[in-house]
Amino acid sequence: MTDRELFAKLKILIVDDSAEMRSVLAALCESMGVGAILSASSGEQGLKLFCAEAPDLIITDGSMRPMDGYELTRSVRSGECREDGTESCDRDVPVLMISGHVGPEMVRLARDNGVTDYIGKPITAAVLYERILAAVSKPIHIVETKAYRGPSPTRRLVPRISDTFSE
Amino acid sequence: MNDAQSPEVPARFLRLPSIAERKLGADFTAPVRLDPRVLDQMQETIRELTAKYSENLKAQVGSLFSFVEPTGAGEPDARNQLYSMAHEIRGLAGTFGYPTVGRFAHSLCAYLENYKPVVSTVLRFHVEAMYDALQQGGGDEILASETLASLDRLIALTHDGERSAG
Repeated sequence: MTDRELFAKLKILIVDDSAEMRSVLAALCESMGVGAILSASSGEQGLKLFCAEAPDLIITDGSMRPMDGYELTRSVRSGECREDGTESCDRDVPVLMISGHVGPEMVRLARDNGVTDYIGKPITAAVLYERILAAVSKPIHIVETKAYRGPSPTRRLVPRISDTFSE
Repeated sequence: MNDAQSPEVPARFLRLPSIAERKLGADFTAPVRLDPRVLDQMQETIRELTAKYSENLKAQVGSLFSFVEPTGAGEPDARNQLYSMAHEIRGLAGTFGYPTVGRFAHSLCAYLENYKPVVSTVLRFHVEAMYDALQQGGGDEILASETLASLDRLIALTHDGERSAG
């Protein structure tokens, strides 16, 4: 089984308020051979598409208005889609956040809201490929309490930053 | 500390099959390295998009100048536009071979995030640094680091330790 055969079976949702960034991410996913690529320009639109299309992976920007990537992730993890009757939505879906803010506060915020992995801007082909592959090929470890469900909020989340740029 | 971290709150730990296992069956084994053919194809895509992006970037940086004075004068729309464009440049310039332009855009975004009001001189120096780096075909990393250090000193002198926008 090659990576391409795996990617061909994937449905990826890209959420970013920058049309240019959406277009670049979609082009890169297409060149990886991803089977279905969905795009949304806001957190709200992203959540609607998530509920309607049940993607296998979400790639989201952090800063968007009014609903940002953190709130989008929290909404996905809450399982509210299922309450709307969409049983196929996976609240444990891997969420990759791409953000220009790679300081510890924002990374911690992402982790506490249930983000799976955090990629610092600017992205490179290698980092994007590596993180998508990791997100879909590793078992998903979930912690569930009364008030939280998602990747462990006590784990150490390290932003992946390309070697061309660091804060 | 949230509930999942609190020792008093009962927690369940679940290990769910990977997306790949669900798609391809339980005998799926994760690859040990990236497929160079896929990576080549992605890098080819970046090369194809670079020419168009370079033109867009020149236009974007050129138009940043028009927001400098209004932003320094406190016009919120200009400030939002300037931030939005710098944010876009920060996100993509490095991907397309302009890492120094991206670094200056990152510094400009950080300045706008952390200070209110902002000073036109600081904004203009950032935009000029981006413009110069573009004129030099992407700029020099060592020179960029020195320029960024100078911009940091300028910000510190101009704002005298304040950090008010939050």
